[in-house]
Amino acid sequence: MSSDSSCLSFSDEEVQNPNIHSIDHSLDAIEDQLSSIAFNSSIDEETPSVANNHHEPVTNGSNNEIQTEMRRNSFGESNNNASVADDIQEHRNNSSSGGELLDSVQSQRVPGKRHIHEDDASMSWRERKKHFFVLSNSGKPILSRYGDEHKLAGFSATLQAIVSFVEDGGDHIKLVRARKHQVVFLVKKPIYLVCISCTEEPYESLRGQLELLYGQIILILTKSVNKCFEKNSKFDMTPLLGGTDLVLSSLFHSFSWNPATFLHAYTCLPLPYATRQIAGAVLQDVAESGVLFAMLMCKYKVVSLVGAQKAVLHPDDILLLANFVMSSESLRTSESFSPICLPRYNPMAFLLAYIYYFDNDTYLVLLTSSSDSFFHLKDCRILIEKVLAKSNVLSEVQRSLSEGGMRVENLPSYPSTRSESLLHLNESRPATVPQDRLHESVSSIGGPAGLWHFIYRNMSLDQYVSSEFSSPITTHRQQKRLYRAYQKLYASMHDQGTGPHKTQFKKDDDYVLLCWVTQDFELYAAFDPLANKGLAIRICNRVCQWVKDVENEIFLVAGTPFTW
Amino acid sequence: MGLSSAATTTTPGEPLKFCIFDLRRGQHEGEELEKILFFFPADLPFPAQLSVVGLSEGLITFTRIFSPEAACEVIEAEMHSHVFFEAEPDIWMVMVVAKSKETEAIWRIEALRSVLKEIHSLFVMFHGSIRMLLDKEPGGGLTRSHLYTFIMDYLSDFLVGNKFLLPNFRDSLKERGTVQMLTVGREAAIEVQSLVGTLDSCMGNALGYSVILFQDLLVSTTLSPDDTVNLFSYSTLRLTPRILSSGGSTWSYLRKGSSSHAESALDRLHGFQDSSSARGDNYQVLRPLQHGKWSKGKDGFLVTDIWGVEVGNLVPTTPTIWLQQIEHKMYLCAYQYKSVTILLLIPVTSMLNGEEGISMLKQQLLENASSKIHKVEEKLAKGWGGENAYHVKGYRYLLVDGDNNISRASPSGKVTTLAKESLLALNKVREDVDLERSRTKGDDLEICIRAKNNSWVIARATRGKQLYIVLEKANETLLYASEAVEKFSDRYCDGAFSLD
Repeated sequence: MSSDSSCLSFSDEEVQNPNIHSIDHSLDAIEDQLSSIAFNSSIDEETPSVANNHHEPVTNGSNNEIQTEMRRNSFGESNNNASVADDIQEHRNNSSSGGELLDSVQSQRVPGKRHIHEDDASMSWRERKKHFFVLSNSGKPILSRYGDEHKLAGFSATLQAIVSFVEDGGDHIKLVRARKHQVVFLVKKPIYLVCISCTEEPYESLRGQLELLYGQIILILTKSVNKCFEKNSKFDMTPLLGGTDLVLSSLFHSFSWNPATFLHAYTCLPLPYATRQIAGAVLQDVAESGVLFAMLMCKYKVVSLVGAQKAVLHPDDILLLANFVMSSESLRTSESFSPICLPRYNPMAFLLAYIYYFDNDTYLVLLTSSSDSFFHLKDCRILIEKVLAKSNVLSEVQRSLSEGGMRVENLPSYPSTRSESLLHLNESRPATVPQDRLHESVSSIGGPAGLWHFIYRNMSLDQYVSSEFSSPITTHRQQKRLYRAYQKLYASMHDQGTGPHKTQFKKDDDYVLLCWVTQDFELYAAFDPLANKGLAIRICNRVCQWVKDVENEIFLVAGTPFTW
Repeated sequence: MGLSSAATTTTPGEPLKFCIFDLRRGQHEGEELEKILFFFPADLPFPAQLSVVGLSEGLITFTRIFSPEAACEVIEAEMHSHVFFEAEPDIWMVMVVAKSKETEAIWRIEALRSVLKEIHSLFVMFHGSIRMLLDKEPGGGLTRSHLYTFIMDYLSDFLVGNKFLLPNFRDSLKERGTVQMLTVGREAAIEVQSLVGTLDSCMGNALGYSVILFQDLLVSTTLSPDDTVNLFSYSTLRLTPRILSSGGSTWSYLRKGSSSHAESALDRLHGFQDSSSARGDNYQVLRPLQHGKWSKGKDGFLVTDIWGVEVGNLVPTTPTIWLQQIEHKMYLCAYQYKSVTILLLIPVTSMLNGEEGISMLKQQLLENASSKIHKVEEKLAKGWGGENAYHVKGYRYLLVDGDNNISRASPSGKVTTLAKESLLALNKVREDVDLERSRTKGDDLEICIRAKNNSWVIARATRGKQLYIVLEKANETLLYASEAVEKFSDRYCDGAFSLD
């Protein structure tokens, strides 16, 4: 294991740390209440239960045993309780070849990134807008977005107590709400995931985010990590996630900017149809030579992807894989061969991912189940690189990246006299508002009739396209607010009990939002809050027409053997 | 306490659990039961009761870590919703309801919370605050017997057969905790105003208050909005002509004609005796919500022996209640003429000669006001359009004026024509609006949804007012639906919800 494991182990010094002992009185109180009233025998005496653990979260003998075991594990000593953990770790170590090992990525911690000095007694920690916790069903902390997990042992035990208390009553806790705060629980035994948020995101979104967090952990470890817990309920999973801070913090960040996290669809980089065809064809050739999935990506956007016969790649897997690759700095510098689990494809097994960056933004991922195919995949990559270079695909990708995608300012009027190419449109984007739009433009910002932004999702392709952010949605804060408004809209349209609804118009102080759900597509559009309803509806129709006109450029369309 | 897991396991099948507990009591281990002031079902084993209280208390404390200003409001589990309401500082009411699609147990949390609020407000109106009772008798026995009888009497209104039917999604076009007003023409309004003046003068220097109702609708009040709501709720639960003629139970489209059955089932369940004192305990407890205890006397005044009878002449004692706003104990004097019910509230302190003074007041009212009352009744009855008076063709609506605690809605009979899907969608929209309103002021909010079954569900909130409309037979365009709301707003809401 990387050097992280040693710094994560519990030392006597840490036990003496006054912060651990100064766990807040309120926590004590909760634990007292839960434990004194009805704590029961279902929790092992040795597990860090609420009843006995909060004053000395890391000092009891059993915890020391775990530490010893984990230290042994990290040096590869044979040990029954941790053999699966070893397997996972070994798999990762042995499978790496050629370039840098993935572990070197994992060992990159950015101290202070997660406000490591904080714990549940700190006001700053309590005031953070969105916490994520992962803990084991024995209450052992696995990860916390903010603060040091080990200082949060008591807090973690409380979360565990809440979950098990409700379960003892024959039910399963989903949500606790206190005015602006929501505590959302996701139980994936033997792992519990909890989000505590005051971001006003709907429950469904937060739960979806916990699912993705779980998926990201599975992507790194596979579900076989469960076996570790089966063999030893006190198993400490933290060291296995050592060094993945950047991956996880990047995922947390994506929850506030990436629509794929709630749409469960992926997006493509806009490209001329022919260019994407060339990329698709060469990936197809490679797929036929024993590659399970071949993906050419530009940042979080798909350039092209191809799956072996009948193999289906879920958009969530694309998102998690892209997040993993994008946030692992060392993967950028040379070719890598890394074990990866695709949680939606097969949560139990590792695949091997050959990852190679063609430039700063564009990378290739070739997935295979065969651990000795590194050199074959390398050859595939050389072939692909040759084709892409020869046909200028990479330069087209760069050009598209710098030009951006659909802009609300460029929404054509119909019947349109313009060329029906998005790329051409961007290229010749006029500096001033065209005459034919002046009459309907409420203000000089955004698109016609106060259109500020839109997201269009193609249902059959499981892909979406999102317009570029334009004035006045320019700052990250504004974008985040709009994104959260979309999340609410999405959750309300897709309510489990009553949805999906067909249309929704929503107006508040910030926006006019329009949503349209059909069997073929979903449209989410945001307008100026003063926008005229009738005009907004007409504009939405135009957006749909526009997307249809340029769909060959913005979507990866049928014609590939990639079936959904 | 070292309880076994079997003891803490609550019965998953229990459709309703309801408890009230005081966080200031039972602080020491082994004394946890002291916290509990009320628990339903009372026969649930103590460990199971403590389990509900323990979880609630734990989560109240837990949520305060992050949200010190507002603790736990709701726990949503797969099979149950736990609804919290801090009725008084450190005194919590928690209702645990089982969810079930089959039995239509699909709730809106705020609707359930408003049940808790109503129970507490009514309780305080009759008995004073819970804390006051606890201070009076720190042992808690007094409080417990008062709460038990009161809440069981209250819950009996929700009992159908052996099951409690709490407000569910079918009640989405209703707003508990508000009054429904009668729209009065100009001429009648002048008569009413004149009557209010006469009633005032009947009460002389006593500084009393009056409330006038027609059927189950409010005509006039001189009370504060909160006190008006409480008295209005009580009247429509136990006093209005509809109730008195039906034998004491609340009318509902859900439980037409089931009143006597409902009560006997409750009594069977909880061993109630037909007596105005609490069961078993040594405390003399008033049961102001007991069914069938009010009747109309020959002189038109409503009488009840709930507050006891004078020794010797068997004349019932005049009821007394607490007004929230002025914190005074008031005599409650109710008079009924045909569809009109008049409530007079006179400060106990200003009625030095007690019952004798009340008799004189009654006499004065009969002498000075009866002709006016008759006139008002006549005018109101003439202008009254019947049960469906406020039906608007094509619309199913609810209009809430939150600042004044007033609401108006489509008649229940008309709401039942809506499809289940429409009501479910509305229930969800209302939940979303509740959330928005709890976070921000929710002013200037408009939601317009075309549901799966093609109905339009519309919510508008602006300046303290909310309007909910369901249109089932509407055109498919959003503009059509918006226009329909606009028309409604202009015609019935003084344009409060008009867009432009």
